[in-house]
Amino acid sequence: MKIPEKFSAPLRMALVSMVLCGLLFPVVVTGIAEVAFPYQSVGEQATLGNHTVGSYLIAQEFNASVFFHPRNDSASGVDPDITISDAYSQIPGISNATGLSSAILMNTVDKFVQYTMISFGTEYMNVLKVNLYLINTYPGIYSHYVSG
Amino acid sequence: MDSSVKGGNVTGRLAETGGPLSAGYLGIVKESLVRLSPRRLLSNPVMLAVELSFFLTLILSIFPGLIPKVTTPSEQPFYMVVAVILFVTVWFSTLSDSIAEAQIRATASSLRKIEQEVTAIKLDKDRNPSEVSSKDLRKGDIIMIRKGDHIPIDCEVLEGIGMVDESLVTGESDLVQKAPTDSLIGGSILRSDTLIAMVSANPGETYLSRLIAIVESSKRPKTPNETAISILLLGLTIGFTIIVAVLLWFSVILHLGVDLSVLLALYVCLLPTTIGALLPAIGISGINRMSSRGIIAKSGKAIEAAGDTDTLLLDKTGTITYGNRTAVAYIPIGGHTEREVGEAAFLSSWNDDTPEGRSIIDLSFTKGYFPREFASIDRAEAMEFSAATRMSSVKLEDADEFVLPKGGKGILQRRRMRRKYIRPDTGDEIDISKGAPDAIRESVPECPSGYDDMASEISASGDTAMAVAVGTEIVGFIRLRDRVKSGIRAKIEDVEIMGITPVMITGDQELTARKIGSEVGIDRIVSQAKPETKMLLVTEEQKGGKIVSMLGDGTNDAPALAVADVGLAMASGTMAAKEAANLVDLESSPGKIIDVVMMGKQLLMTRGAVTTFSIANDLAKYFAIVPVMFSSLPDLQRINILGLSPHVAVLAALIFNAIIIPLLIPLAMRGARFRPRSTMSIFLRNAMIYGFGGILLPFAGIEAIGILLNLIPGGIV
Amino acid sequence: MNPLYVIFTLCIFTAVILSAWFLSNHLFSVFGKRKSRLDRIFDPVDNLLFKLGGVDPKKEMTWKEYFLNLLILNVFQAALAFVILNFQLYLPLNPQGFPDVRWDLALNTVMSIASNTNLQHYAGESTLSYLSQMMGITFLQFTSAASGLSAAVAIFRGFSGKYGGIGNFYSDFVRSLTRVLIPLSLVASVVLVGLGVPQSLNGYLLVKTVEGSSQMLQIGPVASMTSIMQIGTNGGGYFGANSAYPFENPSPISNWFEIFLMMLIPTSVPFLFGKMVGNRKEGSTVLISAYAIYAMNLIAAFAVVTTLGQGMEVRFGAFSSVFWTVTTTAFTTGSVNASLYAFNQIVITAAFLGMMIQSVPGGVGVGTMYMIMYIVITIFIVGLMAGRTPEYLGAKITPRDVKLALIAFLQHPVLILIPTAIAFSTGAAAAAGAGNNPEGFITIFYEFTSAAANNGSDFLGTAGNTAFFNISTAAVMWLGRFIPIALMLSISGSMSSRIRNPSPGLHTDNLTFAAILVVSILLLAVLTFFPFLVIGPVLAYLEGHVNGF
Repeated sequence: MKIPEKFSAPLRMALVSMVLCGLLFPVVVTGIAEVAFPYQSVGEQATLGNHTVGSYLIAQEFNASVFFHPRNDSASGVDPDITISDAYSQIPGISNATGLSSAILMNTVDKFVQYTMISFGTEYMNVLKVNLYLINTYPGIYSHYVSG
Repeated sequence: MDSSVKGGNVTGRLAETGGPLSAGYLGIVKESLVRLSPRRLLSNPVMLAVELSFFLTLILSIFPGLIPKVTTPSEQPFYMVVAVILFVTVWFSTLSDSIAEAQIRATASSLRKIEQEVTAIKLDKDRNPSEVSSKDLRKGDIIMIRKGDHIPIDCEVLEGIGMVDESLVTGESDLVQKAPTDSLIGGSILRSDTLIAMVSANPGETYLSRLIAIVESSKRPKTPNETAISILLLGLTIGFTIIVAVLLWFSVILHLGVDLSVLLALYVCLLPTTIGALLPAIGISGINRMSSRGIIAKSGKAIEAAGDTDTLLLDKTGTITYGNRTAVAYIPIGGHTEREVGEAAFLSSWNDDTPEGRSIIDLSFTKGYFPREFASIDRAEAMEFSAATRMSSVKLEDADEFVLPKGGKGILQRRRMRRKYIRPDTGDEIDISKGAPDAIRESVPECPSGYDDMASEISASGDTAMAVAVGTEIVGFIRLRDRVKSGIRAKIEDVEIMGITPVMITGDQELTARKIGSEVGIDRIVSQAKPETKMLLVTEEQKGGKIVSMLGDGTNDAPALAVADVGLAMASGTMAAKEAANLVDLESSPGKIIDVVMMGKQLLMTRGAVTTFSIANDLAKYFAIVPVMFSSLPDLQRINILGLSPHVAVLAALIFNAIIIPLLIPLAMRGARFRPRSTMSIFLRNAMIYGFGGILLPFAGIEAIGILLNLIPGGIV
Repeated sequence: MNPLYVIFTLCIFTAVILSAWFLSNHLFSVFGKRKSRLDRIFDPVDNLLFKLGGVDPKKEMTWKEYFLNLLILNVFQAALAFVILNFQLYLPLNPQGFPDVRWDLALNTVMSIASNTNLQHYAGESTLSYLSQMMGITFLQFTSAASGLSAAVAIFRGFSGKYGGIGNFYSDFVRSLTRVLIPLSLVASVVLVGLGVPQSLNGYLLVKTVEGSSQMLQIGPVASMTSIMQIGTNGGGYFGANSAYPFENPSPISNWFEIFLMMLIPTSVPFLFGKMVGNRKEGSTVLISAYAIYAMNLIAAFAVVTTLGQGMEVRFGAFSSVFWTVTTTAFTTGSVNASLYAFNQIVITAAFLGMMIQSVPGGVGVGTMYMIMYIVITIFIVGLMAGRTPEYLGAKITPRDVKLALIAFLQHPVLILIPTAIAFSTGAAAAAGAGNNPEGFITIFYEFTSAAANNGSDFLGTAGNTAFFNISTAAVMWLGRFIPIALMLSISGSMSSRIRNPSPGLHTDNLTFAAILVVSILLLAVLTFFPFLVIGPVLAYLEGHVNGF
């Protein structure tokens, strides 16, 4: 079947643009990303020992009361962060469960403070980062809450 | 501009007709009621929509429970009041049309009085005369016109040459010479000789009647902007119809509790009723303002183009100066005496009855320069003077360039004028010529030294140099002086303030032209113009994106008039010029071209102002009605910034919407206030008044009407 | 409010406007057909593409040819993407083995992306294969932005009257891709990866969490989409949660970088317009007017305090979330970094206004196109008051221009209001969970406003995956996209040969005109939508829904 001339140019151009934008472009970006940013390109994976235990960017469930807990209501549903005031409100419970003093826990939280406006704004922290720090710093307390 | 000079003209006569309401108030009201017929409103979608809303509310007033979900029987009195207001709204619109129409009919009938019924002498095949009424003349009839007769009807000269007074028709006071093939305008008066002429138009079909018919016609051509506004109004009507229909739909589905009558009231308030009602009247009044000043627009486009003018071509002679140049001095050259120049000038001008020629005779008489050859002139004069004999005695170098002399046209159209005389003593033939310095120089073998310098000097002082030669020898110059019209400088200033470039066009020498130009404030001068110069200038300006307005009267002007965006022809001008032009000035007052520009601007402004005002009004109407229209949504009371109760808010908005129409009728008739300013400052001023004013005024107006309604004991409904 | 927020906002505006100005120089050399040093690199690429596409890039097109080629190309591109989505199970790069996308959802999706709307009735991470994300979505995000940019420059050429026509569509389309969108997206993609956005074709990663439960890390070619979705004001994300999802927008820095990206081209195009019409001030007037209304929307949105609530991401906080929401609607991008349910109704009203006006500054290319539409209408209404036939850029506005511009203006409310009414009267709204109350009304009204404005943000999300909403919004998106482009191209086509007056009376290149334009645009928007905003977000606000529903 012969395609009318009116339609042949747009059809060919559609195919050309699909290959260019839909295939070549993402593949090239992937190549550059893997070489330049091997850590980021696969989702900023968090490791514990030699195991990948998730991504710093994606919230994961923490059930044990020795850990800080992420929110469970949020837009993405996987918000990895909590506000510092939220973190402070969790400290008494964690202190009870771990025996670590509130002061130590507050100091720990303060080490991980980030700001919503980069250098000002609301203070928040990454839950997984703080929990992994606690696990690595106080292995005696945390080791049997960690699987594997 | 110099209408004071022309007392007995059209404008003056209009005042006697008793104004626009001569049709009688009753007639206007009657006609406005006839215009309420929906069929006649088809061309006005906004008012048609209002009328349909009226019919719907009328039905609701009679059957108040007709549509259960959106009407309530207990609201019957409210429906009635809404119906009445809607009816009045439409009626205000047709009333404004009727008033404007009555006004323009009054203008037309006053114009028509120019062409009166007179007795004419009709010639049969054998040239036997008989007296008939001018009303009984038909195209092709042969008539005889005697000295002192009114010319009974438009006709064309077949035999004879005579001087005609067209001032009754055109306002031009100078007599005009008419020769075979020239056309005569009905209503003018023959002042010399007897003419035989052929009737060129049936009664009622004369040029004047045709022009007047254009004024009166209900099929007046729509101007481009009028068309565009109609499209805008149609678009807004469709848009608001959809919005209101969807709102009704939502109200039913979501149970918002909107009453149909309130929704219709909102609909009518949102529709651009002010401009919808007044748009026809604004257009008619604009044409009327022109007509009552004696300007007939043959096309609607020309009126708007006048407002859009970028470049204004002004003839120096007649428009900027009075054009009747006067001889003020004789300047001898090459060893000749002033007397020689004066005598030669006298001889060359004896039968030249242009103002220039007459002023030369005057000057020679005053100075006592009577030539020896006076005797031969005397003999010539012994023959009865008539235009015909003068014609035979004039010999011209270039017959093609000859156009019958008429006040002030001398130099441009006759580059050189030559006469022969017999010396009484020797019997030799002498040959005297006068004309433009360069034309005279070309005609003689040798030019005296200092000739060019003297010519330039005279020109540089703003005067016109006319060289005089006896035989093949140049004897000197006549210094002619033209007077700049009073008030022209201020008008030129106005034109320039509005961002329009005036261009002065003249056959004069460059230096003369510059002098006059600087005197009145015109920088762009086209001097030594030839007949085709105007046309070239017009097309060149148009290529540069300019809208060009000009005025013209001669056959030479016809091509330029035809291509110019605004071509204003004088009624006194040739038929070719009048046919080519899109505007005709019955008063033939050259300076009026500037007024035409201003009237065009005023018309556009008035339309824009009322349109903007009308649309800007909607905001307040929304704020008055929307917060109170949903009876199931009491929370919206918090944005009811006018604080009126539902019934009062709706009626106040509707009443404001209706009465703004008659309140603006005077604006529509008179036109928005216009002062020559830069386009941008005119725009800003109007944007503030009609735009921001249009947003704010209805808030105050609706609130005030609401307060008044609340004063009615027992409530309005 | 902390003054630092105001300073920060001004810094962002400054950075965007400066970058946009520099970009506009490049755009001018690309579309003004001026020689550039970069031609040496790009000409061979472009020529290869022209050859492969079988087109003659030098052939001057009439507005009809231009539009038909644009439309037909878009139809073919959408059809190709539809095939990819509809048969993804049988195609490569589907490591998760996602099934074929149902036809009506696939249709809605490709028409949504191709019309630069990116309304998403699906969650990409659990619906689309890598190939569908790349050759279905990313592909159309590039081409729809390129189509919008092409239409805009063609319209500018006609309005300018200096180019002897409106140009050649394929030339504009290919140059938009090769010289503007692909280079910008390439740089932006790499930056985004650096900021933590994944870019991988290795398949989702199943991990054991700290406490030993299983978690799927949904990594894929995310950065290569996130860049163009912001740059091209598309807004359709890799994930259902869009830019709220941390893989698409990992940190405050990435958040502001993405805001920068979505503002870049729409801010640049008015500058380009000024350069192409030969008077930079005309472009500045457009930009200032657009930013004035955008700023008003921002101020209104911040007038009521938004607290960090459900539906917002902690790392962004309330300020960035409100800022993003107003910006994404003003620039008709439609990406979201928080759930719309999180916002108070004043923010939602501001978002509505952005989409109703569509030009503050609006999407890539078309935003300025809509601004020109408003200018034509405004100049016609108010310009007469200057006592002259209204002119724009020296050309007289004709009755036909007024007619076409009005249709372009009126199609918008019609495409929003009538489908909304149909959705309620057919029960389709109720089926998607929208009740007969202000909240339900807002949900559906927003859906069609977003669709008609080619925005893409919505309340419905996957709840909109019903046959009614898939098909009705697809139709609305395409009509809302291509009718105005056709009408404005038509005006521009007739403008291109119109005689210009070099010294028009009404000047449109100054702040005064910008002020009048702003008032006129707001008035036109209010006249069209006031009652519906009142029974929607305004009522909800008055009823006490201060923070979210």
